[in-house]
Amino acid sequence: MLEILENNWLLFLVGQYPHGPLGGLTMTLFMAATALALCFPFAIALALARLSPYRWLRLPATAIVHTVRGLPLIMFIFWTYFVSPLVIGRAVGGVETLVIALVVYEAAYLSEIIRAGIEGLPAGQVEAAKSLGLRYWPTTFKVVLPQALHNMLPSMVSQFVSTIKETSLGYVISAHEVTFAASQVNNVLLTQPFEVYGILALTYFVLCFALTSLARFIERRTSSGRGGAPGVIVAA
Amino acid sequence: MIRFENVDKWFGPMQALAGVSGEVGRGEVKVLVGPSGSGKSTLIRTVTRLETIQGGRVLVDGTDVGSRGVDINRLRQRVGFVFQAYNLFPHLSAIGNITLGLTKLRGMGKAEARERGLAELARVGLAEKADEMPGRLSGGQRQRVAIARSLAMDPQVMLFDEPTSALDPEMVGEVLAAMKQLATSGMTMICVTHEMGFAREVADEIWFMEGGAVIERGKPAELTGTSAHSRLQAFLASTSHGGSAA
Repeated sequence: MLEILENNWLLFLVGQYPHGPLGGLTMTLFMAATALALCFPFAIALALARLSPYRWLRLPATAIVHTVRGLPLIMFIFWTYFVSPLVIGRAVGGVETLVIALVVYEAAYLSEIIRAGIEGLPAGQVEAAKSLGLRYWPTTFKVVLPQALHNMLPSMVSQFVSTIKETSLGYVISAHEVTFAASQVNNVLLTQPFEVYGILALTYFVLCFALTSLARFIERRTSSGRGGAPGVIVAA
Repeated sequence: MIRFENVDKWFGPMQALAGVSGEVGRGEVKVLVGPSGSGKSTLIRTVTRLETIQGGRVLVDGTDVGSRGVDINRLRQRVGFVFQAYNLFPHLSAIGNITLGLTKLRGMGKAEARERGLAELARVGLAEKADEMPGRLSGGQRQRVAIARSLAMDPQVMLFDEPTSALDPEMVGEVLAAMKQLATSGMTMICVTHEMGFAREVADEIWFMEGGAVIERGKPAELTGTSAHSRLQAFLASTSHGGSAA
């Protein structure tokens, strides 16, 4: 196992780069981070629409979220892969395809996290903002979201972990990420699939475990950092 | 200044306010007392439309709070509201809580807003806590910051919803002192509170509420004097601590 790692660690880490496209673990992280960053504004918009008092905003947003959450990610990958060439008139690479599919998919999940974060705030926060005379947007961006996002940081790290694991599906459309790199190694060695995919599993595990631990650490800090929740009465 | 005209409010099948009428003149201090669930908080919350009403009207300076055309956010800037749970923004420092409204609504620059905020904090005796986060302040200090936050908007009326009920007893005094100072400066105020000492000292009138209606109103001396046989007196006697805290 060590020998495989010794001979192929660079392929696992960056793919064929610099002699070919960037890949490996670097690409896995890049795609997960990019997808999450790009889906963020959509997720906020979906969450706000879901909480809107207006039906014409609430219903479509709810429909989108439920539809996306009711379908497997690989459907989105296939649809993006086969439909986008028809739409833009040229072939789209695996990486772009995967990122687009992930943005759509993760936006739905992240929006639910954001919605929960907003609904979890004490009602008094919005009432206090209203009482000052603040309108919807300043209330949302200066009072509600900063607190909701702060409280949600651990959940967002967990979402990042899920996204990292989901990028492995990029293998089916030849996106050059770490699972693809592992399969390349396996194709060369042919006889040691258990070891090769063992290395792959270990790579995912170490990365994801580290991030989950980080999430737990943030969670502990956020609950103590502001001295509890001053907006809430503990004993009245 | 503020007029309630036959105000009805329902929470589902439960009637929270039943035909409440009354008037609060400019510079007057009214204290609302009554058992919990009697509609005191609900009544003052109707003034800034934190609660909508189903019948009657609430007028602020002649403007019908419930009418469609009214710019409710503008009206709210003129009516300060202090909550039982303080409701400070925990992600902003004490001064940040105060300057938010000034920069977003009054179009003040950062420096100007900070100066104004510091002046308001000084008024409630907390200038040196300007950059503390709310989580590091005591309950009494938080409530005083909340009062300063409302005052910074130059309100014409201040509404207090049981501002000392969530506080430890030793902190009640500092908040009441800030409120008394405000009352003597001529601010129009409606206070929901059970602090009868405060009521006797500064209230022009006490409204005693029960079952969503004001069932008794009068000067503090008339209602709480030793010879008075008021419903309020009976209520205070029934609460074990004789009206010091609720």
